[in-house]
Amino acid sequence: MTNKAGFIRTSITVLCAILFILPLWWVTVSALRPENDIFRYLSPLSWGTLLPLNFTLEHVVELWSGPFRQAIMNSIIVTSVTIVFGLAICSMAAFALAVIEFRGRTLVFIVMVVSFLIPFDAIAVPLYQTLRNMNLQNTYVGLVLPGIGNGLAVFLLRQFFLGIPKELREAAMIDGMGWFGVFWRIYLPLSVPALISASLILFVFQWQAYLWPLLIAPAPEYKGAAVAIAQFSSQYDVNYSLIFAAALFISLIPMVILTVFQQGFSASVASTGSKE
Amino acid sequence: MMQRNKLLVAMAFLAPAVIAVIMLRLWPAVSAVHESLIAPGATSYSLENYEYIFTDPVFLQSLRVTLIFIVVVAPLQIAIAVALALLVNAAIPFIGLWRAIILLPVAIPQSVSAVVWGVAFRPDGPVNALLVAAGLDPQRFLTSPDQAMGSIIVIVSWIGVGYWMTFILAGLQDIPKSLYEAVRIDGANRFQQFWYVTLPQLRRPLTFVLVANTVANFLVFAPVQILTSGGPQGSTNLIMNEIYTRAFVSGDRSSALAATVVLVAAVLAVVLVQFRMMRSAEDK
Repeated sequence: MTNKAGFIRTSITVLCAILFILPLWWVTVSALRPENDIFRYLSPLSWGTLLPLNFTLEHVVELWSGPFRQAIMNSIIVTSVTIVFGLAICSMAAFALAVIEFRGRTLVFIVMVVSFLIPFDAIAVPLYQTLRNMNLQNTYVGLVLPGIGNGLAVFLLRQFFLGIPKELREAAMIDGMGWFGVFWRIYLPLSVPALISASLILFVFQWQAYLWPLLIAPAPEYKGAAVAIAQFSSQYDVNYSLIFAAALFISLIPMVILTVFQQGFSASVASTGSKE
Repeated sequence: MMQRNKLLVAMAFLAPAVIAVIMLRLWPAVSAVHESLIAPGATSYSLENYEYIFTDPVFLQSLRVTLIFIVVVAPLQIAIAVALALLVNAAIPFIGLWRAIILLPVAIPQSVSAVVWGVAFRPDGPVNALLVAAGLDPQRFLTSPDQAMGSIIVIVSWIGVGYWMTFILAGLQDIPKSLYEAVRIDGANRFQQFWYVTLPQLRRPLTFVLVANTVANFLVFAPVQILTSGGPQGSTNLIMNEIYTRAFVSGDRSSALAATVVLVAAVLAVVLVQFRMMRSAEDK
């Protein structure tokens, strides 16, 4: 590539990146300035549009005394519990599907994959009725349940388990180790990268969840951050500073996590596309 | 004995996941089909609920809006994703950072993105400020029947294209360099290289993205429910919002379930047809 072509390509790339990050930058700036300033520097555009000239942490602090506190805590609780139970359930299923040879294994695998082709949101309305009949409305259990069985996570872990040499298991079993020992002490410790990717999938699903929490947990004490921000933003006397501070906080957690693990996440997610 | 033992162990490992799949996916799907076939107040099966929604102009408009949305959004997002992937598939300074930034919006909950863009699209918001600064007239965006859908498309594309780019980029990096060298020797120019090497080699990731993107677009909900509630004049009433409105705003469970079945059937059909296409393309 010639220098000139390289320069043009770099410029276009940076320009695209700026287009993508501009809304996020605006959120950050708006969260860190007094409420009156949010719409103040827009016409004409000036440095004040993009820089918090009257910097304040007031709203970020306010977040922790206002109604968002409970909502953010709820999101953290629901997401953490989902990851713990989801990892346990998905990795066990993946282990059986990858390592234990039994009759009907392919069939179980296909049924799992096909049933996960039914997108979760599409069946949210009938599922809501099922769980309401079980009295799981306005409970953490009701919020967590849909997140724990994740086809993509099962698929990813199974692929990874398939790559672990059989000899390890056979040697361990000759030494008297049982199936659970093989799973717990050999497969899981060797699969940390895949477990991290699976956790990210579970995390993203639950942190982003909007429709389901809206249906199953309308009570304020169970409301998660994603639902709370939408409802506060449609109030008549909306406090934009608080909305932006909340938006910043709710977005920052996944952005930090995904940036830290980005390499692994992109690789594992992309591999589900090319390997079917 | 050994075989039987293995089966029992496998069942123990699989039980929680299988119960989850049955309770959380299959049972709701089956019960939706079952209940959608029972008209309100009736005790026997009939197609009355389906007859009702398919003669209801609101539902028909929602179907039309959804189909147009998908036909516009899928090619648009895939074209942008391919362009971005080609752009960032190069050794330029800080390339990891630029890729990460383009992927960032995917990480944000859709409801948050919707709320933020909702403020951005306000009449006195920053998008109009940019238009005015560029010497253009301010627009109504989400409150105009002609522009609301376009605004929703901007929002969901800002959220999604980085994600779809990731798959295309992985596909690009899998293409053997030798293929390009071969056609270059034959005198192929940039465009010919793209047309005869890159595109055919991207068939798998492109098919996957097409399927996943179409399915995802059938399910767009948060931006519509939060920003327009399907309006103005039903112009953004995508099918998920229509189902939600029927079930939880109008309280019409029967027709909501019939609409749900239509949606699930449509999504499954798309998935099957597109996987078929991929299969037959492979056989050749």
